[in-house]
Amino acid sequence: MIDPITVEVIGSALASIVEEMGEALIRASHSTNIKERRDCSTALFEPEGRTLCQAEHIPIHLGSFIGLIPHILKRHPVAEMRPGDVFIGNDAYEGGGTHLPDIVLAEPVFIEGRIAAWAVNLAHHSDFADRGHAHIYQEGLRIPPIRLYRAGELQRDVQELILLNCQVPRERLSDLRAQMAANRLGVQRYAALSAKYGAATVAEAGAALLDYAERKMRAGIAAIPDGTYRFADRHDSPEIEGELDLSVEITVAGDAMRLHFDGPPQVRAGINMVMTALQATVYYAVKAVVDPTLPPNAGLARPLTITATEGSVVNCTLPAAVNARLSTCQRVVDLILGALAAAVPGRVTAAHNGACVVASFVGRQPGTGEPWVYLETIGGGFGARATRDGLDGVHVHTTNTSNLPVEALENEYPLTLMRYELVEDSGGPGRQRGGMAIRRVYRAEADCRLRVDGSRLRSRPWGLFGGEPGGHGEFRFAPGVTPFALGNGDLKAGQWVEIITPGAGGYGPPEERSPEAVARDLAEGRISPETARRAYRALAPR
Amino acid sequence: MAWRLGVDSGGTFTDLCLFEEATGRIAVWKVSSTPDDPSRAIAEGAAEAIARVGGSPGDLGYFGHGTTVATNALIQHRGVRTGLLVTDGFRDLLEIGRQRRPDLYDLQVEKPPVLVARDLRLQIPERLRHDGSIETALDEAAVREAARALRAAGVAAVAVCFLYSFVNPAHEARARAILVEELPDAFLTASHAVAPEFREYERLSTAVVNAYLGPVMQGYIRRLAERLTALGITAAPHLTQSNGGVIGLEAAAAMPARMVLSGPSTGVIGAQAVGRLAGFPDLITFDMGGTSTDVALLPGGEPRLAGEAVLHGYPIKAPMLDIHTVGAGGGSIAHVDGGGLLKVGPRSAGAAPGPVCYGLGNADPTVTDANIMLGTLHPTHLLGGRLPVRRDLAVEAITRLAEQLGMEPMATAQGIIAVVTANMARAIRVISVQRGHDPRDYALMAFGGAGPLHAARLARELEMPRVLVPRNPGILCAMGLLLTDLRADFAATRLTPLAAGLAPMREAFAALEREATAWFAQEGIAPEAQRLRRSIDMRYAGQNYELPIPLPPGEPGPATLAALAEAFAAEHARLYGFIAEEDPVQLVTFRLEATGIVPKAQLPALPESGPDATAALAGERRVWLPEAGGFTTVPVYARERLRPGYRLLGPALVEQMDSTTLVLPGMTARTDAHETLILEEGA
Repeated sequence: MIDPITVEVIGSALASIVEEMGEALIRASHSTNIKERRDCSTALFEPEGRTLCQAEHIPIHLGSFIGLIPHILKRHPVAEMRPGDVFIGNDAYEGGGTHLPDIVLAEPVFIEGRIAAWAVNLAHHSDFADRGHAHIYQEGLRIPPIRLYRAGELQRDVQELILLNCQVPRERLSDLRAQMAANRLGVQRYAALSAKYGAATVAEAGAALLDYAERKMRAGIAAIPDGTYRFADRHDSPEIEGELDLSVEITVAGDAMRLHFDGPPQVRAGINMVMTALQATVYYAVKAVVDPTLPPNAGLARPLTITATEGSVVNCTLPAAVNARLSTCQRVVDLILGALAAAVPGRVTAAHNGACVVASFVGRQPGTGEPWVYLETIGGGFGARATRDGLDGVHVHTTNTSNLPVEALENEYPLTLMRYELVEDSGGPGRQRGGMAIRRVYRAEADCRLRVDGSRLRSRPWGLFGGEPGGHGEFRFAPGVTPFALGNGDLKAGQWVEIITPGAGGYGPPEERSPEAVARDLAEGRISPETARRAYRALAPR
Repeated sequence: MAWRLGVDSGGTFTDLCLFEEATGRIAVWKVSSTPDDPSRAIAEGAAEAIARVGGSPGDLGYFGHGTTVATNALIQHRGVRTGLLVTDGFRDLLEIGRQRRPDLYDLQVEKPPVLVARDLRLQIPERLRHDGSIETALDEAAVREAARALRAAGVAAVAVCFLYSFVNPAHEARARAILVEELPDAFLTASHAVAPEFREYERLSTAVVNAYLGPVMQGYIRRLAERLTALGITAAPHLTQSNGGVIGLEAAAAMPARMVLSGPSTGVIGAQAVGRLAGFPDLITFDMGGTSTDVALLPGGEPRLAGEAVLHGYPIKAPMLDIHTVGAGGGSIAHVDGGGLLKVGPRSAGAAPGPVCYGLGNADPTVTDANIMLGTLHPTHLLGGRLPVRRDLAVEAITRLAEQLGMEPMATAQGIIAVVTANMARAIRVISVQRGHDPRDYALMAFGGAGPLHAARLARELEMPRVLVPRNPGILCAMGLLLTDLRADFAATRLTPLAAGLAPMREAFAALEREATAWFAQEGIAPEAQRLRRSIDMRYAGQNYELPIPLPPGEPGPATLAALAEAFAAEHARLYGFIAEEDPVQLVTFRLEATGIVPKAQLPALPESGPDATAALAGERRVWLPEAGGFTTVPVYARERLRPGYRLLGPALVEQMDSTTLVLPGMTARTDAHETLILEEGA
């Protein structure tokens, strides 16, 4: 029986390894999406595919990680695997991925001739742009988990097939190399750790860390009052007409939690979620509510039972398109927070912005004619808390990417950023005010294609316990821009687009907000005099 | 000009180190700090210290000072009311930053407070393009109007940050000139003057931090200068910056953003000097105090310089030593968490009530309590007898913890040490393996009150071959102040392909050298004491993180480009394991490091005695050492009686007033000619 101190010491070393892998990946990569926006993740897995340790990058990436190793094992006999084999995959149905741009590389760590662990990393390649989303075959190249390297030897045929299907192959190649470098480090470090403590001890510590996460998760759930909690909301997207009803039913019984999700049948649009995406989303939300310090490993999932209606937007089946699943994931988190508000009101928040707002530009560089693809996701409001205002202008829930500096953006792409600011009155009024939305205005310097995506365009992020909803999202276009269809359209040189993300809901009745806070919000232009009067019943000065 | 004085002003103590130039004699002195006005303790301590060695204030030829005034004002948000002028459309850049939230999972997290209120962030119509050309000319009337509004709002400082000012500073410079006219008494910072590099948010944050702290630093420096003058000290005081070099008071007052690591950086410089003298220049420093620990890497004997760091939540672009801090030290509290694992920190017992063994009411066991229970620290008193401790209380507290864990009490105490050692090892991996360096190639320099006690186990954990403990580990920062040169760093960002880099390179360095010349003149540095070092941040076109590559000496020519390409490829391969031959290489930022060599304290070598250390033996005590199978009788040596040449076999303890060094079984310790204790594996 391994002692708790050795477990803690080895746990520290494992966390060091995944962090180091992440740093190497970010620093060696070429695409802005990874090097500046850090849209990538690194992890170590047990031989059977349970998460041992994930670096703190992007929660939704866990979704791709969960399914990957089992899919590899299903296709490839372990007996045929060799040191230096590297598997590549991205498919949502056969590769364990959650959408095609997230390409995962996995390399087994061999200790004394046996697989002791897997080094895995994921990078969001901003490619597969300007595609269709009626079904997954339109969304890009589907890669089942196959060998990119065989015993250290690059499989050029495979690489060439993949690169030919990408719009910016050179950037893909550089990023794949950075991914290779990151895994190589993970393999070396894990082997060194095993050499030091003994492979059996490290494996035992790994198992104990999973048990530890499970114990902490169970203790946290046990502190939530038993009962069944329900919540429903309406989802929307530029890709579809109308709105979709989503709902959750959460049953807390002792130290276990059951979550069942329901939604309409999967749609011919990219907003469907595969089961692994749903699982990763639930793990994020429950960890955040129950105990944010839980180690992000597979142990925390044991007390949770997750189900969802098969073939629905929250648990889709082949051939549903999945590219824009993140907005749906964000809504799933809000559903969970809304349901648990009745059980643990002090630990949840009002609705966050409920969207993953994306602007994806595709064009050719003036002069050289080189193709370029630039994708960015934009944050918004963070829901108000029981004792604190929501955060203004941040990435929330299952995503946490950085924005690209304006001084890098304009240098690399024919775009000019004209405004980048918080949006007045977008934070839902409440005793605690919801977080504010972001406005970004881009001007095209050369003709390009643009795809805009998001949610909360038709509804507003709800408030809690008397708090009012936050502002909705909106896309505005320069006069003369041909109306966009399903979020897709063209910008001519000199034309602009204005993207406003959703804000977030308030918490508690606005009239209970302290007059000082209302006065400060008013002086700082966070709320308008009209809102001060209407929602807060404040006599606006000036 | 007989004495040199170094003063390190910390939160609890002000350490002073005096050095007599003629004899090489070192005298140290410690007084309580006066946090309301740190200059009071500094002046009083200086007067006392000089009097004790029989000198007078006029005998001081050099006064070096490390201060936490800037850092503390930033942590406690005690800067001044600050206004900000930004490019129209970017009012909220300071607040939005890079859009990332501070914690991934914590729904109750807060962002660090924004240093400029939204209504004091004013937008100015003006816009440059990425090549520095003007798209919208500066609206001077709007600047004047904004300046008046800020004056009416009572700001004491104003920062200006426009897009692309690092390429073309004209708009910022003009706006600053208008601000000077309208707000003659305010502290002004233009972003191109503090951080002329790309990435607008980080440059903006730096300018704002600088303006916010400026008047605080100016006031402090004025008071300090007055007190020193009143004492009769005629030597011009020098302050350390985050880059480990010192600058004059005037330069320090203008650039507080460059002072935030003033304190810890001098410890690294002191360690560098001690390591060189010992013949082990490749160091990892390990400065473990009561609540936090600083570690840094010195490859090739030089501390690594970082161009940017996030300090207390605020990005600062300034040349600073690459120092990594962890929130764990001797006072960190051990506890069993909800999942049954033993955790140490981040909560700390601080100086009061302090560890359980102080008997001042704290019942939560700390790292210090574990050491008292294990016998590695003296069971009845600390600080050379000045601080009585109660082992029984420490044992009681740790036994309670052991019951929760289901482990033996002694194993639990040892477990606290193992966990804290693992935390420290993780910090050292961040600054070594994560930067492509193998700790096994380095010596561990242990200082701070708790460093020498934990260093041997930490070195073993990381397979480092040796540990160095300086003669006075508790005052290494103050001593470092006597060993540091004058230093300023200049930089300019000019994104250019390597192949076409020769002309921009020559131009950029010529401009930087003009700046350096002006600085040399301002600091009064004689030509023979001037040193310049050039480097270029390079990357593959498309990457966004650069690698600093030293520029070969001499006038740059075509051969320089080839040499740069080769050096860059080698560094990239070392760090990332591959070279992208087909990708063009870019030059990004040109850097010039200007050093004014000052005469430094020359620590004399002492004659060696034989290896027999019996004369330093002060006693023995029972110490729990798992390496020796449990309780073992361990000889205790008095540090002040260790002569150069003495050798000790582990297990052994070496005690001195403010620190204890543990030598593990299987290790040998020897004292070198500068009285540095060197621990190595083997006999």
